[in-house]
Amino acid sequence: MKRFVKHCLLFGLVFFVLDKGLYFFLNQAPNLEIDKRLEYMLEGKMNKDIIILGSSRGADNILAKQIEQQTKRSTYNLSYPGSDIVFHDFILKALLQYNSKPKLILLVIDNPFLFKEEQTLTFRLDRLYPLSKYNYINAELIARGEKNYLSWLFCAARINRSNFTFKTVSNSHLNPIDNWGSMPFLKKEKQQSLKFINSNLTYTTRGELEAKITAFKSMQKQCKSNGIQLLYVFSPAYRAFDISFYNRFLQLVDEQSVLVYNKWDSRYQNEEFYFDEVHLLKTGAEIFTNEISTFIQSKNVSK
Amino acid sequence: MLFNSLDFALFLPVVFVLYWFVLDKSYSKQNFFLLVSSYFFYACWDIRFLGLLLFSTAFDFFAAACIQNAQKAAIKKFWLYTSIAANITFLGFFKYYNFFAVSAQESLSLIGISVPIYLLQVVLPVGISFYTFHGLSYIVDVYKNRIEAEKDLIAYGLFVSYFPLLVAGPIERATHLLPQLKRERSFNYVMAASGMYQILWGLFKKIVIADQCAVYANAIFNDSSMYSGSTLLVGAVFFAFQIYGDFSGYSDIALGVSKLFGIELLQNFSFPYFSRDIAEFWRRWHISLSSWFKDYVYIPLGGSKRSVIITIRNVFIIFLLSGFWHGANWTFIVWGLLHALYFLPSLLLGSNRTNMAIVAESRTIPSLKELSQMLFTFMLITVAWIFFRASSIEDAVGYCNKMISSSLFSVPTVRPTYLILLLIFFILVEWWGRRQKFALEQLRLQDKQFVRWVGLAFILLLTFIFNSPVEQKFIYFQF
Repeated sequence: MKRFVKHCLLFGLVFFVLDKGLYFFLNQAPNLEIDKRLEYMLEGKMNKDIIILGSSRGADNILAKQIEQQTKRSTYNLSYPGSDIVFHDFILKALLQYNSKPKLILLVIDNPFLFKEEQTLTFRLDRLYPLSKYNYINAELIARGEKNYLSWLFCAARINRSNFTFKTVSNSHLNPIDNWGSMPFLKKEKQQSLKFINSNLTYTTRGELEAKITAFKSMQKQCKSNGIQLLYVFSPAYRAFDISFYNRFLQLVDEQSVLVYNKWDSRYQNEEFYFDEVHLLKTGAEIFTNEISTFIQSKNVSK
Repeated sequence: MLFNSLDFALFLPVVFVLYWFVLDKSYSKQNFFLLVSSYFFYACWDIRFLGLLLFSTAFDFFAAACIQNAQKAAIKKFWLYTSIAANITFLGFFKYYNFFAVSAQESLSLIGISVPIYLLQVVLPVGISFYTFHGLSYIVDVYKNRIEAEKDLIAYGLFVSYFPLLVAGPIERATHLLPQLKRERSFNYVMAASGMYQILWGLFKKIVIADQCAVYANAIFNDSSMYSGSTLLVGAVFFAFQIYGDFSGYSDIALGVSKLFGIELLQNFSFPYFSRDIAEFWRRWHISLSSWFKDYVYIPLGGSKRSVIITIRNVFIIFLLSGFWHGANWTFIVWGLLHALYFLPSLLLGSNRTNMAIVAESRTIPSLKELSQMLFTFMLITVAWIFFRASSIEDAVGYCNKMISSSLFSVPTVRPTYLILLLIFFILVEWWGRRQKFALEQLRLQDKQFVRWVGLAFILLLTFIFNSPVEQKFIYFQF
């Protein structure tokens, strides 16, 4: 019996040491990522006056560099294509945990999917996996049921299959990420004609997810308690503005400011400025960003 | 409490330490402790059905005693049939009532009779198919004077409820397990070490092979109309490995855990996918169930000793019963029927006992003939698995039709490289260890401790890497 217990303990020790060799894979996974925004955040390198949060509408339609130049305030875009409001809330929490507070946050609203189940908008776990060496990320993965508590002890339980690749993720040729975190579309993928959708939309609260509403409220609360101004942004789309969603949205916000794109600007009805129905090309993004900068300056936001 | 859960990882060492360090001196105390642990283990699943398990145990114990003590053959027979009826009633009520009710209603509607039915909204008591078969075999063995009725209720209770085998087998025999429970057990290093190797290999099969294959098999089976024939074939092959990894993985863990307590359970799998014909497959797949049906159904019905017609009938009966045992669904019955059809030619030609030895026993690699036989057998088994996996006969037929089409020769759209590499590794290790009772036993027999530990550590690392934080249930728990 003694021999058995001794061998079990000894093997456990050997395994524990061998397991630490996997740290090599964990450690090098972030280096292969082109998008280092989350890593910068976790390392406290994201100390900006203005932060943009959102999904692809935030990433593609708003140029942080242009805002920085026009408002003379340091700006960074932390919008993640395909991410939902719960992910935005996670990003905000990480930002506030490791960096100085921004003065202004632009939250780009996914009209009309913000509160509903939408397959294209998810919690971007794939952005977290390469960074699982960070305890903050590991804790989030555990909380989301992606990892178990053994991952605090063993690298093997923390590592992901994606950590074994040695290929650097290449930048998109259509909308490469720039040094300010924005991802404007440089060109259309193929010449396709867009059809302006002018039908009246009726938003109902059926299908709204409690988790998404909670995340939305959590973001408001965090901004309020940290003295951060929160500006909600509705970006242009090649379709009629969904006023019914907007009214629902207003029920869930407090006294913070809202910026809706200038619906009377005819350029927003010109398909030449669009990549697709909800994403602008860089030329369109410049027009919309200009509108945002003007708004920020006119309202003395973030002073 | 699943074998692949953190709960079990805490439960097992506690039971192990108390069993050997506190209760080492007396087998009766060890039995009592194991029985209490087993009931706790079962209660963690669903405490509501613990009463059913206790009642079933007590009833069979009492019935066996009555059979043994009865002077008249008629009374013996009465208790035998009463006990069999009680066991079958429990099983039938919980597992098959809805199936029979719906089937009866559908049959009657065909002749224009509409009957309202009452379906039961009950959960199937976990392990009922397994512990019912324990009880049945015990009663029959006592009746046939193969064993004496057990006088120690604790030992008998443990035979029925021993936690490693309680929820998904192997289906033990009283003649094999009870004698082990009635003698002193002292710690055996070799046995315990072998148990640890077997547990690890079982975990690897479940977590790395079965659960990873399940991801792709589920995706393909759940949306089969979207895929080409070749991808459907890949899906069926993944399912074949999923169910093997899942069930044999469970069995390996059960056997390994039991070895830690000095108790050997019946071998349940013996590298079935290296079988060269269907008869060999059934000597290697779910051995405890197939041998149960052979001993308690096939042979009493006359086996193959009577006329050809009777033999054919008996073959169909045991394969259909085997399919039906898995679940109340026509898909399982068709699965059993297919195997009966596969098996019949070799039985009629007298070639069902041709491949009794281990394939390529004295060689490293199989001959071309052996390889082609194994591949052909695997293909037949895989086609049958489609029926086992599908939710209805229509789905299975649709799957097969789509699979056997011109797109069978296209490049599959689902071909996860990492999983293919894992499967190749798995097959190679299984091939390497095919002469042992489980593949990793071969590693334990290596002389150099360095080789053993590196091999173990590598497999354990893979198991950790692929471990899902969400508990993945074993397929056979539903049976």
